[in-house]
Amino acid sequence: MAGEQLALTVLMGVFLVGVVTLVSRMENLRAYTPLVSGDAGYGDSTATSHKPSGLIRWLTTVDHKDIGILYGIYATIAFVWGGLAVMLMRVELTTPALNVLGGTGTYNGLLTSHGITMLFLFGTPIIAAFSNYFIPLLIGADDMAFPRINGIAFWLLPPAALLIWAGFFLDPLTGGAVGAAETSWTMYTPLSAEQANPGVDLMLLGLHLSGISATMGAINFIVTIFTERSPDVNWANLDIFSWTILTQSALILFAFPLLGSALIMLLLDRNFQTAFFAVDGGSPILWQHLFWFFGHPEVYILVLPPMGLVSWILPKFSGRKLFGYKFVIYSTLAIGVLSFGVWAHHMFSSGIDPRIRASFMAVSLAIAIPSAVKTFNWIATMWNGNIRLTAPMLFCIGFVANFVIGGITGVFLAAIPIDLVLHDTYYVVGHFHWIVMGMIAFAGFGAIYYWFPIVTGKMYQKRLAKMHFWISEIGVAVTFFAMLLLGYLGMPRRYATYEFNGLIAPLAQVTTLHQVATIGAFIIMLGQLIWVWNLTQSYLEGPVVEDEDPWNLKETGQYSREFEWFGEQLDTTDEDTPALAADGSGEPSDD
Amino acid sequence: MAQEEPEAGASGPAKVSAWPLFVALGLAVGEVGVVMALYPLAIGGLVLFAGSIAGILTEAGYTERPWRTLTALSGVFVALGLVVVVTRTGTSFGAIESALASTDTIVLRGFSIVGAGIVALAASIAGGSVTDAGPAA
Ligand code: HEM
Ligand SMILES: [Cu+2]
Repeated sequence: MAGEQLALTVLMGVFLVGVVTLVSRMENLRAYTPLVSGDAGYGDSTATSHKPSGLIRWLTTVDHKDIGILYGIYATIAFVWGGLAVMLMRVELTTPALNVLGGTGTYNGLLTSHGITMLFLFGTPIIAAFSNYFIPLLIGADDMAFPRINGIAFWLLPPAALLIWAGFFLDPLTGGAVGAAETSWTMYTPLSAEQANPGVDLMLLGLHLSGISATMGAINFIVTIFTERSPDVNWANLDIFSWTILTQSALILFAFPLLGSALIMLLLDRNFQTAFFAVDGGSPILWQHLFWFFGHPEVYILVLPPMGLVSWILPKFSGRKLFGYKFVIYSTLAIGVLSFGVWAHHMFSSGIDPRIRASFMAVSLAIAIPSAVKTFNWIATMWNGNIRLTAPMLFCIGFVANFVIGGITGVFLAAIPIDLVLHDTYYVVGHFHWIVMGMIAFAGFGAIYYWFPIVTGKMYQKRLAKMHFWISEIGVAVTFFAMLLLGYLGMPRRYATYEFNGLIAPLAQVTTLHQVATIGAFIIMLGQLIWVWNLTQSYLEGPVVEDEDPWNLKETGQYSREFEWFGEQLDTTDEDTPALAADGSGEPSDD
Repeated sequence: MAQEEPEAGASGPAKVSAWPLFVALGLAVGEVGVVMALYPLAIGGLVLFAGSIAGILTEAGYTERPWRTLTALSGVFVALGLVVVVTRTGTSFGAIESALASTDTIVLRGFSIVGAGIVALAASIAGGSVTDAGPAA
């Protein structure tokens, strides 16, 4: 133990010396002018701007566009990790017995990692990728209000991911003394408080860091949208995506600090002998209340910005303005407020007072109203429009279609009698995957294709992009519809095996449906391979975009600010360096 | 490497800072150190965190020099660490002193936070008196 601490000390000392050296070199590198005015910016705006090159640029950037790209790359890596984890699980589930993974513990670890990775390391960051890059462009701001805080918020995420995944890396190194957390993403106590594995502490710490990151980002967006708008952008013509990010940021501001506090309480229970969630101290149910008071708003934190993206992109390819702009904003705000009043619909079966339970059911059902308002507005926007089925548009339409199923299954679950039957079955898994995969990821793909020319200065391969859509949509339908049916058959969620008594559920049908779901998962994976290939290949070798209006939006009066900005970039740079991230040589480069 | 070129079309300011990365790293390493009872990580991480906060505030022009921020943060660490220690030992000075030799990891984690505060304080005193040349905190 003493030797270990000594080694760590030496390591730490070397590291700190390295930091001091690097920082003092940085200070020489940059023309640095401390700020004198009250503006919380990053230096004297008359100084010439400099970007160091190579790796140093990416490690030290506080430019919102660079940070947006970093978020995007980060989210993609997390998406791959989460995807691979779930593929292992799906393979295991093709047969009732346990015969692929080493043990049920491995399955539980993968399950936990998949959920947390997808929600916190993919979902939130992929949204931040778009908002960091585009909100300042859409509202005519030079940058975020606090560029450095923006940098801190991003850099908290890589250590967060390493900590959340740490159990997997440390398991072989420590001979199993530290393993992957097996708590599921909900970390229900007493299970999570009593699991001795230090991997759980590392995971909780990582989650805590990601929460700090999200909160810092949210504050930054709120201040940016309130104070950095250009004079001609007011509340009445603020774009719909910025509205959803503003609402999302407000939700984050109320929800994430609560998660942070709850996580600290859990860490204290585990390491400092407190008893917040102990059976004979506080209450295990307390965790569920705290968690879901955060957890339900979290699902809207994840879905509102994608709704904003669709509301922004879908009109572009329908050739007309968004139908009912004002009501789409009102519904966003309504969902934001209501989402804090429904948390106990995740706890209907935990034995809470039936009268309280009924009121949560009422508010949960009420959320369907603003959700439906949005859906009808999207449909009305397309109605009689001049629809162009580009890849971004296909993903938007798929988004709306998937929301119909995801949303309606949610309404069913919000009804207490139905929930008592379906709770903790695969039906729930099917419900939220229609939404998280079918909507959140789809809107992300649509937006990536839509803005690909701006960010890279290149065009993607359109055929591959359409294939990506169709394969993904088919995969989603096959996989998650099978899960809804599994739920009806009573297949419980979170199980590595299902060799149960035939009197409980028809084993043959359950097995078949699991196999269908696994095939669907492979179809989805195929789609994503095409996506990664397409983006990488097009980024390196795709045709350079020289047209400031690659989507022909001017024709229908849908040309908007971010493409105006893109046009200016094309005018001021020489022909082969249209956008900031590409220089034609294929390097993620400097100018 | 280290080639600088003006960025075309952008609004001007130098959009780089070394500090955000280290604020984040310091916080992460410090948190892990304290919770997992890895004392060197706790002290090093917290010192890095405090130093980077002082550095970033100075760089952004919120303060003239980093040293006062560093002193304030070291005070916070000492107080926080003592709170952790005192929850285990009570407030009598003798008890706190003898707890230094303890094997109770909670007490020791408290002391590691105090230790980080002391190192940061030393750095700020040294920094403030020795230099007005070096920018590193
Ligand atoms: C029309 C709106 C919605 C309603 C009424 C609704 C209702 C519900 C209900 C009642 C449950 C609990 C089921 C149970 O555990 O027995 C649930 C679970 C869940 N919903 Fe929704 N939902 C809606 C929209 C959404 C959205 C937009 C998302 C994601 C962005 C989402 C994600 C989830 C997740 C992740 C769970 C599972 C949580 C867990 O792990 O237990 N839902 N939903
Ligand atoms: Cu919910």
